[in-house]
Amino acid sequence: MSSKSGRSINIYALTWRLPIIFWQFIFFVGPVLFMVAMSFFLVKNYRMTEAFEFVNWSKMLSRGYFWDSYWYTVFIASVSTTCAMCLAFPAAFALAFRASESTRRWAIFLLIIPFFTSYLVRTFSWFVILSESGVVNAILGYIGLGPYTMLNTNFGTLVGYMTLTLPLVVILQTVTMANIDKTLVEAARNLGCRPLATIWQVILPLSKTGLIIAAIFCFILSFGDFVAPFYLGGSQEPTLPILILDTTKSGQQWPRAAVVAIMMMLTLFAIAFTGIALAYRKRKGAK
Amino acid sequence: MSAPLVIFDKVQKTFGDFVAVKELDFEIREGEFLAIMGPSGCGKTTTLRMLAGLEAPSVGEIRLNGEIMNDVAPHERDTPLVWQSLALFPFLTARENVEFGLKMRGVDKAERKERALKWLGKMGILEFADRDISTLSGGQKQRVALARSLVMEPQILLLDEPLSALDAHLVIRMQAVLTDLQRELGITFVYVTHSQSEAFAMADRVVIMGNGEIAQIGSPKDIYRAPANQFVAEFVGRNNILSGTVTKLTDDTARITTPSGEFTVPTNDVLLIEGHTASFVISADLVHISIDKPVGDNAAKCKLISEEFVGSMVTLFLEDAQGHEFKVQMQERELSKFDLNSGDEIWLSWDTSSAHVLNEG
Repeated sequence: MSSKSGRSINIYALTWRLPIIFWQFIFFVGPVLFMVAMSFFLVKNYRMTEAFEFVNWSKMLSRGYFWDSYWYTVFIASVSTTCAMCLAFPAAFALAFRASESTRRWAIFLLIIPFFTSYLVRTFSWFVILSESGVVNAILGYIGLGPYTMLNTNFGTLVGYMTLTLPLVVILQTVTMANIDKTLVEAARNLGCRPLATIWQVILPLSKTGLIIAAIFCFILSFGDFVAPFYLGGSQEPTLPILILDTTKSGQQWPRAAVVAIMMMLTLFAIAFTGIALAYRKRKGAK
Repeated sequence: MSAPLVIFDKVQKTFGDFVAVKELDFEIREGEFLAIMGPSGCGKTTTLRMLAGLEAPSVGEIRLNGEIMNDVAPHERDTPLVWQSLALFPFLTARENVEFGLKMRGVDKAERKERALKWLGKMGILEFADRDISTLSGGQKQRVALARSLVMEPQILLLDEPLSALDAHLVIRMQAVLTDLQRELGITFVYVTHSQSEAFAMADRVVIMGNGEIAQIGSPKDIYRAPANQFVAEFVGRNNILSGTVTKLTDDTARITTPSGEFTVPTNDVLLIEGHTASFVISADLVHISIDKPVGDNAAKCKLISEEFVGSMVTLFLEDAQGHEFKVQMQERELSKFDLNSGDEIWLSWDTSSAHVLNEG
């Protein structure tokens, strides 16, 4: 009797789970498996043919330009993550500890608004602001500075990354720090901790998990972003997403693009896994 | 013993339109165990927070050792606080929690460790020094929190309802720990609580607060036997309060006519005027019961409503013909002589000297 009812509950639960399982298989697991298979295919006369050869892997991974691009992408995504985390922190800190509950609610609402418009549109609007004859250079011109080249530089790429990630990072940091028990901050002050030192002594340790997750999000978004390095960075030093585009265009090398894509996914898996392990790490010596 | 360590000089605290503390004017003596007691929202925690520098007084001065403390930042004060929620740092071990304050004061690593271990040992939790806070029991956390404050070797220790989260049997044990510590260390304890039993069990003096004001300051016995006004009498509980009109005044007694009857009370030094209203209290444990009408001035006939046993003590809840409620506290073995049931009518009586007239207001 009990095993029968147990089974019927399983079917009930399974019915609800099925759509998401289907979805995951059709649009995630399936494509990833196909991409892995494709990385072993060959291209003959600009046409992809099924095969199982390691030539794409050995060609791509032995090319200097691949590794240049790989390390450049890791570098620029790391810089982006560092910038976003640092720029977001004062804002998030003020929202979490200084602002009233209603101000915080409004601020988070306003931080969601950028996501209403396309990222591409927001990126293009930077042209008006950053170009040689743009708003920033016009203002700097008044005080006798410039003009500075900001588009088609690493700076441009970073501005694009910030456009993509900064609102999200501020939201994640704010929510994390707003949930800190304020009594702990007061307890630290009561025990002789200076106001600024509470950040290092209490607030950062307490918000570690949330901050690491914000950083992971920022890195993943920057690492995989095509728009910022392509339009604002001028793709002079191609990042991996640009490399994928170039590879598919030149000679229909989809299999080699698949190699790049798999390398990107492995990197992100490693980063996310390490990050989350760090975020939830138990203190050493804890029993 | 009697030099004032802390002086609250006409201290007021407002949050926007809300007046948390109206006007505080009192002293905390060096080496005493002072309890600040009152119902929630009476301003007792605000008072403690002002002492720790976590709130600044809106008006008035707080002086510690004669120095005005109003503008001294919390981290520059030597007023460690034991929090209601304990506020232990979850990312540190028990020992690191205890070391925190010393670290902030720049004490070097070896000395920090030594002092932390000494205090953990004193609190009887040395074996848990390297444990994570989350793995400790309520009582153990309580001891870590105490050690964390006491390791600073302060002149004054502030405690904000530190026992409210503990089981009843642990509360009794921690009360003993606290009074022993206070006596041994000789430092001043300021203990905020809403619990009368905690305050009366531990404190040398009790400050009763209500609506942001001090209602009475005195020894637990003073407050219990001679509440200054109706608020204190009601808050302390286990009191019978009667109100009526003063009908006859002699040198040291007054007749007060209440709906429950006419009673004689000692006037003490309270100013009573014939024809005006007055209230008085009789502690529940000073009321006698009898089956027959007793001789003497102060007696009331009541119906037994219910009984409440706490150990060997029993509290009777009674009502007179006018519906006025009376409480009587007595030993269970005394009560058993009477063989009473709910609804039985009995006489209550008390000595004139047991009654205590209240100051109005």
